[in-house]
Amino acid sequence: MTNIKKIITLSALTSGLLVAGGYKIPEQSLNGMALSAAYVAHTTGADTAYYNPAAMAFMEDKQHMEGALTLVHLPSNEYTLFAPLSGESETENILIPSGHYVANAMGDFRWGISMVAPGGLTKRWKSPYQKLYAEEFTLKVVEINPSMSYKVSDNFAIGGGVRLIYSEGVVNSDGGAIAPIKREMEGDTIELGYNLAMIYKPTTDINIAATYRSNIDLDQEGEANLYFGGVGQQYDATVSVPLPAAVNLSISKTWNNQFTLELNYERTYWSAYEDLDFNYGTTIGNPILVGAFDTPLERNWEDTDTFRLGATYVMDKYTFMGAFAIDETPVPAETIGFELPDSDAKIYSMGFRYQYSDDISVGAAFLYTDKEERTLTPGVAENAVLVNGGTFSGGGAFLTTLGFSYEF
Amino acid sequence: MRRMFRLALVVPVWFIVGCGGLDQPANEIVDGGEVVVDLSGDVIKGSLIAAGTPGVDETTTVYGYKAYKIPYTTTDEEGNSVEVSGLMVVPTGLPEELVAGLGLSMVSDSHETIFANADAPTQIAGATSSADGSPIILTSLGGFVTLQADYIGFGDSADHYHPFILKKSLANATVDFINAAKVFATNNDINLNGQLFLTGYSEGGYAAMATLQKIETETELQVTLSAPMAGPYAVEALARGVLSAPVMPIPSFMTNVGYAYSFAYDIDIASIVNEPYASSLDDLFDGSKARPEIDAALTTQTTGVDGLFNPDFVADFLAPEDNWFNLAARENDVHTWVPQSSVRLLHCLGDDVIPYALSELTEGTMLAMSGGAADVSIVPIEVAVTQDPTTALRYGHVECGPVAYSVATQIFAQTRAATIGY
Repeated sequence: MTNIKKIITLSALTSGLLVAGGYKIPEQSLNGMALSAAYVAHTTGADTAYYNPAAMAFMEDKQHMEGALTLVHLPSNEYTLFAPLSGESETENILIPSGHYVANAMGDFRWGISMVAPGGLTKRWKSPYQKLYAEEFTLKVVEINPSMSYKVSDNFAIGGGVRLIYSEGVVNSDGGAIAPIKREMEGDTIELGYNLAMIYKPTTDINIAATYRSNIDLDQEGEANLYFGGVGQQYDATVSVPLPAAVNLSISKTWNNQFTLELNYERTYWSAYEDLDFNYGTTIGNPILVGAFDTPLERNWEDTDTFRLGATYVMDKYTFMGAFAIDETPVPAETIGFELPDSDAKIYSMGFRYQYSDDISVGAAFLYTDKEERTLTPGVAENAVLVNGGTFSGGGAFLTTLGFSYEF
Repeated sequence: MRRMFRLALVVPVWFIVGCGGLDQPANEIVDGGEVVVDLSGDVIKGSLIAAGTPGVDETTTVYGYKAYKIPYTTTDEEGNSVEVSGLMVVPTGLPEELVAGLGLSMVSDSHETIFANADAPTQIAGATSSADGSPIILTSLGGFVTLQADYIGFGDSADHYHPFILKKSLANATVDFINAAKVFATNNDINLNGQLFLTGYSEGGYAAMATLQKIETETELQVTLSAPMAGPYAVEALARGVLSAPVMPIPSFMTNVGYAYSFAYDIDIASIVNEPYASSLDDLFDGSKARPEIDAALTTQTTGVDGLFNPDFVADFLAPEDNWFNLAARENDVHTWVPQSSVRLLHCLGDDVIPYALSELTEGTMLAMSGGAADVSIVPIEVAVTQDPTTALRYGHVECGPVAYSVATQIFAQTRAATIGY
């Protein structure tokens, strides 16, 4: 029963996205989704606590809260080479909630808190050669992010917060008819990080903002069952992947208190992901299992740039939003694997918010991530299948968000 | 603290996130043991072909390999009960009508000399979950159920000294395992046909002969045919040869004999082995070290002030009058009796560790004692392989092992075909 509850709850919480390059998820609210996270300089709701806590200093002095529920639809990935090496991953449908709160001002100070899923990944292949590497590769991340702002002056504020991260990982590999080996691993971890923010308003209609989120190594600790043939043994197991540091620089300009454009640049320091190295508590006696599951895999991911342009138009009770983003993949051709066959992407999003009453607004947003087809040059990738070349296609993501906000 | 963090962080906010942990591996449950290896014939065949195993190709019939670690109780040299373990390897993938109708024949294969507990049959299987050693030949290629007792001193009894070349406890461990395996087979629907073969290489050859002697003189078990291989059956003769030589190429073997006999016959090890070696033997033979490490810690000089064995001990042993070791070695000889069942002594002509002459001595002694009536004969491995009595081919002790097992498997298979019908 515990396991069932766990599966249901975590599936609903986090999980597997390829919304941005790598496994980071920048969109964490209705506005964030509608604006493809081009939402750092010109934040307006309780989600300010997450996107730019410094800007809480300039929010209207009342309590703000909001929640959202996002349905993520992840089409399958296809890998095309030749039979039997070609394969296809599962389609995924996942629900992700988020919540934000900003308290009343306390002099020049103000605090808020966000509960989000800042990262996640799930890839489940159903074809034999791919299952050997990633029958399931899931990373779930939940973050509670209490934050504080300080109004330095009427046009400048700073902020920061503590990132409390709970993360779970599942790694299953199954050689099936190809090799008599199988791995089942589950681990979890609690980690700490921090975030910093500033906002400067040189004029009443221009905001300049910068935020920084620290790198957090998700040191998953748990157990792994390694099978050779029909017999498995359980080991204590650890593996570490980073939730990388990121810098956001944004500028927004508002015309007639009605139309706002925001340009956002994000640098994500994926180079922290150097290798995928599973470690086990006791020595594995079977050399085939050692070769398959206990040999560090180089990743050598690269830092990435993301450019976003978001537009917000306010008219009477409605607010309309739309955005476009260009997102690089951090995954180099040499170390690409089936657990994350990532590629460069273009992101399109739109949404609206309806002011139901003075205190309550509701809205919806839709985001589409268009992943580029990725063709591998033979002889480049280190993976024993991908070294033959081939093409990854499909993938991407469709996200639909429903949200509400309440001010009091 | 970590759980408190998790509860504080996750439960109030995200409902309940359990921390159930990963279930134990879904291994088959059996009565009276545990499955430690379970591989299909195709997997075994693939690895044999990949390893370039002679005579194995895609057309070869290779059976699956399911190994069970079975705990059981035996009796040590001093008469005490000891909890020990053994490995039972059962072929899978045989035609169901053959298994159900004719049953499986069993080979008790006593393993060769080992020093590290990690090299014991159940330990290798448990650590690697893979097929290893002679059961690949006997089970996967021959279709026999293979039994390998760990012996006292290894596996579940790793804290006990190993009774190296001590026939009573080696035979006890083997016979008790045969009986335990038969019970295990009954409890787990493994259909045995009652046919029992004995074999073993080097120390295992000695143990197999000791086992045969115990079975024929003390038990109701019936042995179909025995093929002990390259065993030091004549302990006193072997010891005389080793201790007479100025150097020992592999000092660990004879030292292990002295070490085990010091326990079994309650003799101070310092009267057998010189210092500083004597006081290091508890560490060297503690089951954590393999032969190369032990050999490196000893000298190859047999005796003398700087040698391995105490000169007084060696002189007493080689003197015309019997000392305790003469009597003990003779008590543990396994060539001075008359087997009632058929025995084939497999030995390589080129054996550089256990002289071929020991098998000749064994054959000659048994035939002489029976007035020529015993069905005992030597099978020179090189001749069996080449079918040429004049062959110049020679295998040393180490290279001979796998070849000897192939020949033994052929002999057993011929006997099974003639008696059981497959």
